[in-house]
Amino acid sequence: MIDVILHALPIAIVASTPLLLAVEGELVVQRSGIINLGIEGMMLTAAMTAVLAQQATKSVLAGFAGGVLGALFVAAIFGLFAIRYRADQIVTGTAINLLALGLTGFVYKAAGGLIFSASPVREVAQYAVVLFAWIAVPIALALLLWMTRFGLRLRASGENPDAVRHAQRYRWSALAIEALLIGMGGAYLSLALSSGFAENMTAGRGFIALSIVIFGRWKVRGAIVGTALFGVAAALQYTLQAMNIGLPFHLLLAVPYVVTLLILCGIAGRVRAPEALGRRD
Amino acid sequence: MKAVAAAIAAILLLSLSALAFGRSPVELLNILVTGSVGSRFAIEGTLLKSVPLLLTGLSVALAFRAGVWNIGGEGQFIVGAIVAIVASRYGVIASLAAAMLAGAVWASIATAMRLWRNAPEVLTTILLNFTAIHLLGWCVNGPLQERGAQYPQTDVAAVALPQAGDVHAGILIAVAASVAAWFLLYRTAEGLRLRATGFNARAAKWAGIDVDRQLVRAMAISGALAGLAGGIELLGVTHRLFERFAAGYGYSGIAVALLAQLHPLATIASAIFFGALATGAGELQRTADISSNVAIFGQAVVILVLILFGSWRARD
Amino acid sequence: MLTLRGITKRFGENVAVDDVTLELRGGEIVAIVGENGAGKTTLMRIAAGELAPDAGTITADDAIGFVHQHFLLVSDFTIAENLALQRAWSFASLRTLEDEAERIIAATGIDLHGPSRRVEELSVGEKSKLELIKAIAKKPRVLILDEPTSVLTPAESEELFAVMRRVASEGTAVVFISHKLPEVLAIADRIVVMRRGRIVLETKSMTADELANAMVDAPLPTSVAPAKNILAIVGVAGNGQSQLAERFRDEHPDAGLIPEDRTRDGIIAEMSIAENLALRSKTNADALIKLFSIKATSAKQKAGSLSGGNQQKVILARELSRKPGRILAAEPTRGLDIEATAFVHAQLRAAADAGASILLITSDLDEAFALADEIQVIYRGRLSERMPPAVAREKVGALMAGLP
Repeated sequence: MIDVILHALPIAIVASTPLLLAVEGELVVQRSGIINLGIEGMMLTAAMTAVLAQQATKSVLAGFAGGVLGALFVAAIFGLFAIRYRADQIVTGTAINLLALGLTGFVYKAAGGLIFSASPVREVAQYAVVLFAWIAVPIALALLLWMTRFGLRLRASGENPDAVRHAQRYRWSALAIEALLIGMGGAYLSLALSSGFAENMTAGRGFIALSIVIFGRWKVRGAIVGTALFGVAAALQYTLQAMNIGLPFHLLLAVPYVVTLLILCGIAGRVRAPEALGRRD
Repeated sequence: MKAVAAAIAAILLLSLSALAFGRSPVELLNILVTGSVGSRFAIEGTLLKSVPLLLTGLSVALAFRAGVWNIGGEGQFIVGAIVAIVASRYGVIASLAAAMLAGAVWASIATAMRLWRNAPEVLTTILLNFTAIHLLGWCVNGPLQERGAQYPQTDVAAVALPQAGDVHAGILIAVAASVAAWFLLYRTAEGLRLRATGFNARAAKWAGIDVDRQLVRAMAISGALAGLAGGIELLGVTHRLFERFAAGYGYSGIAVALLAQLHPLATIASAIFFGALATGAGELQRTADISSNVAIFGQAVVILVLILFGSWRARD
Repeated sequence: MLTLRGITKRFGENVAVDDVTLELRGGEIVAIVGENGAGKTTLMRIAAGELAPDAGTITADDAIGFVHQHFLLVSDFTIAENLALQRAWSFASLRTLEDEAERIIAATGIDLHGPSRRVEELSVGEKSKLELIKAIAKKPRVLILDEPTSVLTPAESEELFAVMRRVASEGTAVVFISHKLPEVLAIADRIVVMRRGRIVLETKSMTADELANAMVDAPLPTSVAPAKNILAIVGVAGNGQSQLAERFRDEHPDAGLIPEDRTRDGIIAEMSIAENLALRSKTNADALIKLFSIKATSAKQKAGSLSGGNQQKVILARELSRKPGRILAAEPTRGLDIEATAFVHAQLRAAADAGASILLITSDLDEAFALADEIQVIYRGRLSERMPPAVAREKVGALMAGLP
């Protein structure tokens, strides 16, 4: 059993890199006091804009930049409603997801249903993103959030925004960081892990990411462990399939979601969210 | 009426966005209108689409009014339909009752996780949606697949809802449900307590209301309504199950509920509006080759406009 | 140091501050007194620049320190982190922040140890000190304190006064808002009395009675004998009263429940008066409105638009009309004027006389002694033994401070 898991680990890490980037981004945003349910839509949009950018420029780098820009666009809309207009964050996030779904579906169909990436991403670039997500970002976030004044104020905005002047600024900054990370995650998803964009390709990763943020108790360490745990459990579906045991194909597809539900079961009562999370002030 | 203004604004914005794709907004608006209400065929199509929307809209409205984020309408719809087709051999009433029960149970999984494990239902209901979709996939490719095993779909259901032309009896059931929901919310003591819980759960507790029980009840009824929607769609329209059966009706219920400002009777008008939008969008795809995704896009725009006007909350 | 001229501020129809002119000078301790709703806090928030006045001018030197009544602290952070929030730095380890914090605290001369402690572990008195340190550390020319002793024990209040005197002697203008007459008379160089948004009196010396009479319209009611069946739990706010109340509520959901925060927890603002009254059981709303003298346009009026006193009446009507055997009243007269307070007390007495046993949680000692026949003190979540009022009178000060 152990070696099955060990065998699945590297696959899990690579495959759940977009998920990890989403978890890391949402962690920062929730620490600042905002719940962004719309990361599903953000990642989906980024996945599409990344492919479009790469097709247009034939450059992978431009593709990733395109992904980030797509994510920033969605983040701007979300921030406008959730931060500036202090709207209900759940409803706004839901609307954003619908918006992204409709928009990307529309563009996909308009492009004739085929958006393949222009050229496969070089392995070196792939590993760079993986290392970035699993090592560089966690260290950077840990330092930023816990050792700088910016980070202190950002976290304070999520606990007691009245104790911080211009809490909104920190929330906008958090959103921007999230967009950067999710933009890269979405780009990685469509450019590296798949051969292009497909309708609804994020398949709930955004919601799984939200669950892992809670499971990891809004800590960087928890984000890594949670994502790795999830990644291994989800990767097992393929390993089991290859070994010809286990569930029929369609039920195997449900495994990631059931695993996430189980993960959410593991938080009972130990959850201590940032005090001001989701409050409309 | 800010809600009406929001709906109009959304349609206008939608039409204007046609410019981004090199089309005429007027043309787009024209097709939307004629495609949804411009002919008997169109009107029937609109009504047919409005029925599941009305029920999923009621489902969301009831849950939101109790302060619960039930985003699981899609999954509850699917599960309701699955159980409905299995129970269809026992007749229409048994089938629909079973669908309601199934929807209630599916929703209650999320309730249980919230009460016992503090898991936020906004996430668990969505995760259950994905689970249900794959459950459906398994059913129509496996145990429930049609006898010929040619396509991923089930056999035709054993019974069907009575019809008049293309319109089926489900429309009566849906309207009845709407009136029943209104009566429950505004004419009963328990409905008062449910609304109180939704407005201010803390104060509800201080008034001796068992908030947890309100939650359980609201989610169960909400799930039952979405399950019923699935059962009716099965027995009235599609008559068999296949992948992509739900087609977003569950999620669309959110927009329906918000436009109606969570009021059960207003949901009827709201459902017709979005039903028209969906039907018109279908026509757009057929004639102007504009993806029917505009309907989803339209829902999002309506919600965002409502948020801007601050007009989606219940305002009794 | 700070001059306010012709300041006026309205909130909707309510004129909170009405053409007030006030001068604050360095080296002086000024007390602003008045009943709840007199406009004291609003005026000072305008002085500090937190609110903009509708009319009038402010001339002030730069640094103004404000110690808020409701702490602006981050519970999850340590003392050091809370102090670090408003200082200028970029990158530092927690250790560095803690060393800095010790330096800052020492410079203010206030006694608060253990900067690595989290704020949620601190006692209310210590949180209050932290707020004060935050304000003084900026070396303000004007220091405003809003009801600083409302959560302090007598001993802690003395410590605070010593700090205030020292700061004043260093040239700062010290202003404090209070409704506690004895301490005002003890420490203030100048007393400013506000009533309904205006300054009605400004003086350097007066007696307690003169002061009390200047503050209110009607003479204070004489004391009445305590009722039977009323147990009062007294203590400085923040010592576990809320948790105690919630436990009681969860154990006895059928009891008459009057929560501490009437606007947030007592009424449902978005619902009408009639609906609020019907939450427990079917009622005749119009009859109850009449019986409890609730001032409203109709039973359909939204409960959130009622005044505090009338909201409390709605809650009382809903809870007491059921004639419950047990009643919980948490801070039932907080923020109410004399008339409304008398009404609430009368209702509670009547219920007790009719046989209900009442648990009264209050930080108002006068209220406790006026109503209760048994008193317990709560400190850090623990209850003292029950005492008759006579015994309590002697021990209450010490018990509230946590001394055995």
